[in-house]
Amino acid sequence: MKAFTALAAAELRLLSRDPASLFFMVAFPLMLLVLKRGDSGAVPGYLAMIAAIGGMGALPGLLASYRERKVLKRLATTPISPVLLLGAQLVAQVAAGLAGSVLLVVVTITVFGGQAPGDVLMLAAAFLLCSVMACALGFVIAAVVRNTRGASLIGMLVMFPMIFLSGAAVPRRALPGSLRQIGDFLPLTPAVEALGDAWSGTAAIFPLLILAGIIVAATAAGAALFRWE
Amino acid sequence: MEAIEVTDLRKSYEGTPAVDGVTFTVRTGETFGIIGHNGAGKTTTVECLIGLRRADAGTVRVLGEDPARRRRALAHRLGVQLQDGSLPDRIKVAEALRMFGSFYRDAADWRRVMERWSLRPLARKAFGDLSGGQRQRLMLALALVGDPEVVVLDELTTGLDPIARRETWRLVGDLRTAGTTVVLVSHYFDEIEALCDRVAVLARGRVEATGTPGELIARTGTASLEEAYLALEGVDR
Repeated sequence: MKAFTALAAAELRLLSRDPASLFFMVAFPLMLLVLKRGDSGAVPGYLAMIAAIGGMGALPGLLASYRERKVLKRLATTPISPVLLLGAQLVAQVAAGLAGSVLLVVVTITVFGGQAPGDVLMLAAAFLLCSVMACALGFVIAAVVRNTRGASLIGMLVMFPMIFLSGAAVPRRALPGSLRQIGDFLPLTPAVEALGDAWSGTAAIFPLLILAGIIVAATAAGAALFRWE
Repeated sequence: MEAIEVTDLRKSYEGTPAVDGVTFTVRTGETFGIIGHNGAGKTTTVECLIGLRRADAGTVRVLGEDPARRRRALAHRLGVQLQDGSLPDRIKVAEALRMFGSFYRDAADWRRVMERWSLRPLARKAFGDLSGGQRQRLMLALALVGDPEVVVLDELTTGLDPIARRETWRLVGDLRTAGTTVVLVSHYFDEIEALCDRVAVLARGRVEATGTPGELIARTGTASLEEAYLALEGVDR
């Protein structure tokens, strides 16, 4: 436990030193909110976007670089299991996303006088599941694509269309029909739905179950395909 | 008492043998050198010793344990410096030492290790900003932060300037004085000659000869360990 806490703290510290992560997970959603003049209806989507940026935009390249630069190999010679490092990465990504999200929600309410979330507990649960799911998908990308640049690139190529087609960046009703249909099959779509429902206070369990299912499937696939070296 | 016993170790990669029947023992408290040219099987042997690879055949015992089966238990008593290991660029020297210290059951005081390896002035420097020699020094300190009984050092001083090399030699000498068992993998003969009690010469995945540097020199009728190695390898001088 001591080792895990130290690892997770170190990973979070490293993340906070990464200007790109800080910008995209904290500053960028705030900028979008300002452009939307504090429209609280857009906020649940932005929360999903924060999670997707961390888990799919940043995590695959990070994991691949740890493998490519033999950080994982070095850790494998210590008493800790390298699996612990993956867990620490997950905790750090979720914590960073949570920090960015809390800031976004607080600014929405206090600065723009937006409506407060209807069901805070369900909103938190939806965010956690959404963030863990994004990390699990990022893990699969790092398992399939071996080198660092490739993993970063594929992460971005998966993440960007997904945040536009799932309703995270723009509402899905604003999309043409065919694009909206693609969104039906994207894992981020139920996450946006779950966050939106919790925000309006009409939270349902079903989208959360879908997210949990995707987490289990993606983690199993990632674990089967991931190579430490 | 033997700290390490390797008997008829074999390991192939895709049908090509990297290690083809290696046998040697390392006594407790001794500094043992493994020399050989690139591709002789040094790193594969080391990776089997520390449990990163499972041998195809033969037995490996480190402190009486099988590293392939008991890697994590053994890791508490083992310090490793890998030839190619590294750290995230943005981690700071003091953070890395403290974090690695937290992995071990009976770790040394990481501040003292930092002091001892003259890393204090670099405590707040990021790994990515360190020079090659500074990185090497940090990786060595990380190998010792768990207060190990056996230390495995692969390519100890590669990339170090002459002053840093001598300083590293002195610190490895201190380990021997303290009774720590050291396995030193290198292709620098002066280093092996200066530091090691006994040496195994590896070639084509086998142990060509074992003995003290003095014995190897006497046996080949040469003047230095390097010449003894070349004679063992059948290279004309």
